[in-house]
Amino acid sequence: MFNYKKLLLITIFSCVSLMVMAQDSLPVAPYGILKLTPYPAPKIQLHDIDGKAFNLDETKGQWVFVHFWASWCGPCRKEMPAIQKMWGELEPLGLKIVLINTAEDEDTIFNFLGIYAPDIRALMDRNGQITEQWKPRGLPATYLVDKEGLVHYQALGGRPWNNEIYLNFIKSLLHKK
Amino acid sequence: MSLSFINIRLLTSIVCISMLIVSNSIQAKTKDKYEYSSNSLRVRLSPKVPQNIAAFYEGRGFSKPMIDTLKQQCFITIGIHNKSNDIIWLKASNWVFSTKAGNIKRRDRAYWKSVWKKMSIPLAHQSTFRWTLLPEELDFRSGEHEGGNIILPYTEQPFTLTAEFKTKADKSGELIKVIINDIRCVR
Repeated sequence: MFNYKKLLLITIFSCVSLMVMAQDSLPVAPYGILKLTPYPAPKIQLHDIDGKAFNLDETKGQWVFVHFWASWCGPCRKEMPAIQKMWGELEPLGLKIVLINTAEDEDTIFNFLGIYAPDIRALMDRNGQITEQWKPRGLPATYLVDKEGLVHYQALGGRPWNNEIYLNFIKSLLHKK
Repeated sequence: MSLSFINIRLLTSIVCISMLIVSNSIQAKTKDKYEYSSNSLRVRLSPKVPQNIAAFYEGRGFSKPMIDTLKQQCFITIGIHNKSNDIIWLKASNWVFSTKAGNIKRRDRAYWKSVWKKMSIPLAHQSTFRWTLLPEELDFRSGEHEGGNIILPYTEQPFTLTAEFKTKADKSGELIKVIINDIRCVR
């Protein structure tokens, strides 16, 4: 009576669907994070405030938090302490955090970070040209880049990155294969 | 007795009307914010005095010729908040600033790029300057706030802003028309 053939087909179809979904789907983003159609991240080759070179291409295999900021931007000042707290929690788990200052000098960056996020080292986009290539909506601007170098998410303005919702969201990305 | 009573009433009326006129005129001259607000969109305009503008850019290390040029302008800081559940499209090129004498042409990014190039302004300062401007176009997402400055040639005349915002992802939604009257540059 029971149609075993039909049941088998349904089971196989369900398993395949679940496998495909598990591979392709990324977690639902919290409020203020835009899910984008993935695209290759623009190049970043810059030096940090201590003169150390950085190349985004060398971060393949890691999720990367790319953040653009400037000392004169009010929301950047508000957001930076939250990023520092997030840094402490998520970098040990494998998130690469890349902070890029837009078009300011060493002294300005040094003074700003000394006040708002003393443990953070920032890259210097001296002429603002790298920032331009990423086409942010405004400053601050944050992007999440996957292990293959594709941009998947963009944050709208400043976000409370040390809030559980955002931490758990990024943790869930880090756990994706 | 009766004449004196009438005179007192007349005098009081004249004083009150004069005070009202003076107070209105003070309000018009010192108004520092203009706003359009609906259920779906808020647009705020705050004209800036040249000293504020100069102080901000001096703090960023801008050169004196650059600051002197900027101090001659009419700077207005714009704040836009999408309060709707859909996308609202900003397109600054369709904003019209009009006085009784005609339209005022907004000095956009292309204008400033050409000015700074002629003045050999360093790229870093050009970049910072651009980031302080209102985006030319932006798809405001639900709940998003963004802002920036718009720059007009300075005018003593009050002017009106007329701006249209398309809505929905494919821009097919209801058009939002914003009209803000009697805006004044500040000195």
